[in-house]
Amino acid sequence: MEQEGESQELHLRGVAVSSGIGIGRVFFFSFIEGAIPQFIIAPKDIQSEIRRYRKALARCRADITLIQSRMQKEGADEGITILDSHLQILEDPLITTGIEEQIEETRINAEAVFYGQIKEYEECFNRMPDEFFRERFKDIQDISRRILGHLAQSLQISLADIPENSMVFANDIGPSEVAEANRNSIGGMVTETGGETSHAAIVAKAKGIPYVSHVDFQKMEGQRGAIAVIDGCQGLVILNPSQKTLAEYTAKRNELDLAYKQLKANSGLIAETIDGCKITLSANVDMVHELEELHECGGAGVGLFRSEYLYLVKEQFPSEEEQFESYKSLVENLHGMPAVIRTFDIGDDKHNPRDDKEGHKAPFLGKRAIRFLLDERELFKTQLRAILRASHYGNISVMFPMVSGLQELLDAKALFREAEKDLHGEGIPFSPNVRIGCMIELPSAALVCDVLAKECDFFSLGTNDLLQYTLAVDRTSQENTGLYQHSHPSVIRLIRMVVQESSRVGIPVTVCGEMAADPRMVALLLGLGVQGLSVGIRHIPVIKNAIRSCSIVSATNLADKVLQLESAEEIEQLVSSVYQKSMKDDFLSHLRRRQFHH
Amino acid sequence: MGTTLDSNKVTAKVRVKNDLGLHTRPATVIVKLLRNVKCEVTFTHKRETINAKSILSILMLAAKKNSHINIVAQGEGAQEAIDELVKAFDNKFGE
Repeated sequence: MEQEGESQELHLRGVAVSSGIGIGRVFFFSFIEGAIPQFIIAPKDIQSEIRRYRKALARCRADITLIQSRMQKEGADEGITILDSHLQILEDPLITTGIEEQIEETRINAEAVFYGQIKEYEECFNRMPDEFFRERFKDIQDISRRILGHLAQSLQISLADIPENSMVFANDIGPSEVAEANRNSIGGMVTETGGETSHAAIVAKAKGIPYVSHVDFQKMEGQRGAIAVIDGCQGLVILNPSQKTLAEYTAKRNELDLAYKQLKANSGLIAETIDGCKITLSANVDMVHELEELHECGGAGVGLFRSEYLYLVKEQFPSEEEQFESYKSLVENLHGMPAVIRTFDIGDDKHNPRDDKEGHKAPFLGKRAIRFLLDERELFKTQLRAILRASHYGNISVMFPMVSGLQELLDAKALFREAEKDLHGEGIPFSPNVRIGCMIELPSAALVCDVLAKECDFFSLGTNDLLQYTLAVDRTSQENTGLYQHSHPSVIRLIRMVVQESSRVGIPVTVCGEMAADPRMVALLLGLGVQGLSVGIRHIPVIKNAIRSCSIVSATNLADKVLQLESAEEIEQLVSSVYQKSMKDDFLSHLRRRQFHH
Repeated sequence: MGTTLDSNKVTAKVRVKNDLGLHTRPATVIVKLLRNVKCEVTFTHKRETINAKSILSILMLAAKKNSHINIVAQGEGAQEAIDELVKAFDNKFGE
């Protein structure tokens, strides 16, 4: 599997999270043990980078002077003299103007320039024949550690302003960080932790960013590599690729781009099966600015607007006015197409949204989503008011996350009616026809969906959470990735049940989890009776193609067969082979090839 | 010992007398001594010429006991700088 040995090419294996190929310069987003971050500074920021470096030197001087005065009290004169030389090193023109000039010339961040320079000095000292002089480097090493330490403290970088097409390496990346990043700047992502269905991964998939997680940075052995290839299809990261590897991957990337472009060129086509069954193919959206791409990809509206991103990016709850503006701009940009706004899906740890969303300390079994909202009634009502006000400007539905049973749905609806009444009293316009939906993402909700169906207008199946609660698998955990299989028979049966019960009452079911974005699962979902799919914008062309190449008759047959199968592996095999057969073009399967877990 | 070549360029030849050579402590004394000196000062040892105001450069000369160093000072206060340096080399930088 691994082809090592070629010059200094370094292959690192990880988990394929988001498919695609990234080729570009390495960018270390966070401090990785033993490695110094290196990135390009924008011309406008050069002076502030130099100031940051000067500040680090000033802080070192302050440290040393403080230690000296302490030593003076203790009478440790020898120590004072040594520290005196450290102070002189801090004033050495090679360290002051020398480094500053290099920052200006190379436009590389202070720590990388500084570290590179110190390494050169180290080599210079190592070459000295006299051991005594070689040892003098220790003082330089000591002071440079101090300088790097101060630089680390002042390093605040945001994914929003990294250079174009960077291959981002980080211990971990939060979903809001990925969300605010410009698609053009992140060419690929590599993390040590994370997981296939962590929120960061969902955002990466939605943005079409190749992403490999669970890569052991220790194996990099301090090697940074200027160029990296990120193969999000195979879960492979190649540092310092050879010319041959680069050529191969460039060709592969171009092929994928071409296949995707061809699909995207068909964005004007309707999402309907060969036998004319129309499917609502909409998008999962976090930010209003993604809508331009939604139109390019031919999505029929927003099936899931994750409103918590308004909070995650700001790290505080947006006011009614701010929310109103966001929701209004959402529907206005949809030009009459529907938008489903899901109320905040967050936990009660307001101060650490990242922990919440990344799952390390996430209250998956605690106060989250609707539970949290019903406890924070004012906050909930503020959001409902904002949604209602925006409904005056377009086609809006509201949806409640993590409902476990009837009472929560009734309580949320009561608050919604209250908000309607208030707005009515205040003479503020809103649409009287805002539809209310219920997320089905807990097994309990799926089991009582016949009861819930009577109290709402639509269901949205959140298959990611449904899977994790049904199988009791933490989807962000590293050890359990093999157990997280969306083809598990239990989940397929739950979906079947929800679709049957809702069709009895006559309300539609949309699937908005990752399962809907897997083209191999499309025929099965349609065969089970799902009428809508909501996927990351980037997936729309591929999923539309999958819908257009299957017939409801064969999909129903497939669903019947699948319901007879006993294991996730069998189901996976069957849907894969059916999908392969339905695809005339075989690089489409290539395009969406995912890593299977055994 | 300093020789004046022209109005602002002064040179001198010195010998390192310290047992451990031009190590950290003497280097510290040198750069401190030159901290407020306006003229440019260079040391030449073997074939290397370095800025005498840079402690790292002095250390990288790795000048052992009895090695010879050519000092060149150029600019305002060159003579005074040379005088001070020669004196410092002579008294082994106070060691």
